[in-house]
Amino acid sequence: MAAAAAMAALCRRLPGALRLSGARPGPTAAGLPGLTLNLFHKNLAKVEPLHQLKFLHTSLSRKGLEEFFDDPRNWGEKSVKSGDAWNIKHLRGKSSEDLHKLWYVLLKEKNMLLTLEQESKRQLRPMPSPERLKKVEKSMKNIDLVVREREIALRLLQTGHEKPAPGEWRHDFLGRTYWYTYKEWPIPWYLNKKYKKRKFYYLPHVNHFIRLRLEKSLRRRARRQNLEKTRQKVLERKFPHLAVKSQSQ
Amino acid sequence: MAARVKKAVYPLYQLGGPQLRIFRPNFFMLAVRPGVPQPEDTVQFRVSMEMTKVDIKNYLEKIYNVPVAAVRTRIQYGANNKRDHKNRRVKKPDYKVAYVQLGQGQTFQFPNLFPEKEQDAETRSFDDFRNKYMETEQQRQKGDPRRGGVPDWFGF
Repeated sequence: MAAAAAMAALCRRLPGALRLSGARPGPTAAGLPGLTLNLFHKNLAKVEPLHQLKFLHTSLSRKGLEEFFDDPRNWGEKSVKSGDAWNIKHLRGKSSEDLHKLWYVLLKEKNMLLTLEQESKRQLRPMPSPERLKKVEKSMKNIDLVVREREIALRLLQTGHEKPAPGEWRHDFLGRTYWYTYKEWPIPWYLNKKYKKRKFYYLPHVNHFIRLRLEKSLRRRARRQNLEKTRQKVLERKFPHLAVKSQSQ
Repeated sequence: MAARVKKAVYPLYQLGGPQLRIFRPNFFMLAVRPGVPQPEDTVQFRVSMEMTKVDIKNYLEKIYNVPVAAVRTRIQYGANNKRDHKNRRVKKPDYKVAYVQLGQGQTFQFPNLFPEKEQDAETRSFDDFRNKYMETEQQRQKGDPRRGGVPDWFGF
């Protein structure tokens, strides 16, 4: 019993030891040691780093946990300069490989900024340039959009379907219509108790409320359109010289 | 209507199925200064709630190239007893804390991200200006120095 336990402990420790001491050779720095790809700071013209990429071989970064923190020269500064967020139009021109790499660059930048934010809260100091976080998040959302567009285009060409998962239009118990996506289950629907409790139909008494909802949406639309028209009229009265000239010969 | 982030749907795993691989992970991970002193090889992180110990290990090894020996996680419950001006309870968000022990004998010390820096001429001049203004204001507020600090609404 004791022998078996000892044996089990040994077996558990052995692969761990092998893993720790194991030869996972670090990436050899083949590129120039002095060059660091400054893809974080987007104020550098987006054209510039690409020119550099063409001529020089980029090395894998040797930094480990340092990437959770900013450049040490920026520690203690009141504000750090940074360029604009990546625009969708610029991202659409990049290859998928470039977008993949940019995603990870932005992810590491976001982690760094979140670390800085938390530390500034802890030290009760203002975070230098918090707008960088918003820019990074916007860029990541844009990359996601571009990749999704490309996926949809490919899928349409290959299969003819737009959405990754099949679905259908269904009603809910309040009479609203929505797109239901099929989910993956290990059991069929007639064995799924939670699914059988869901109601994808509505009873006749709900028709009255559907009518009311329809009226409300129509009223809101009419109000919105009237508001826009009145605003337009006010502007035309104030700035008659800027009015859109109707067809006049 | 703000665009809410939809919970990512992953394919169902059944025995013999393919390993799930995520190509553009949207999980954040931030390093925090430990509140309680930790051993030298331990780094404390706040991670996204959906990450597991294996996920954290792979994340650090693949993306940051940091050797990881062990990971321990816990979920910190955010308190819900503060109230706003309408007496509604305000919840502090929950978060997951990960204690990562580095491999290959590496150690880590959380750095000081706000060192005292010498102020440049602009901030120095602004501080001087502000101090001088405060001094003049206080001089004006003070009453007659002959009264020895006694306020002037006393007496006749």
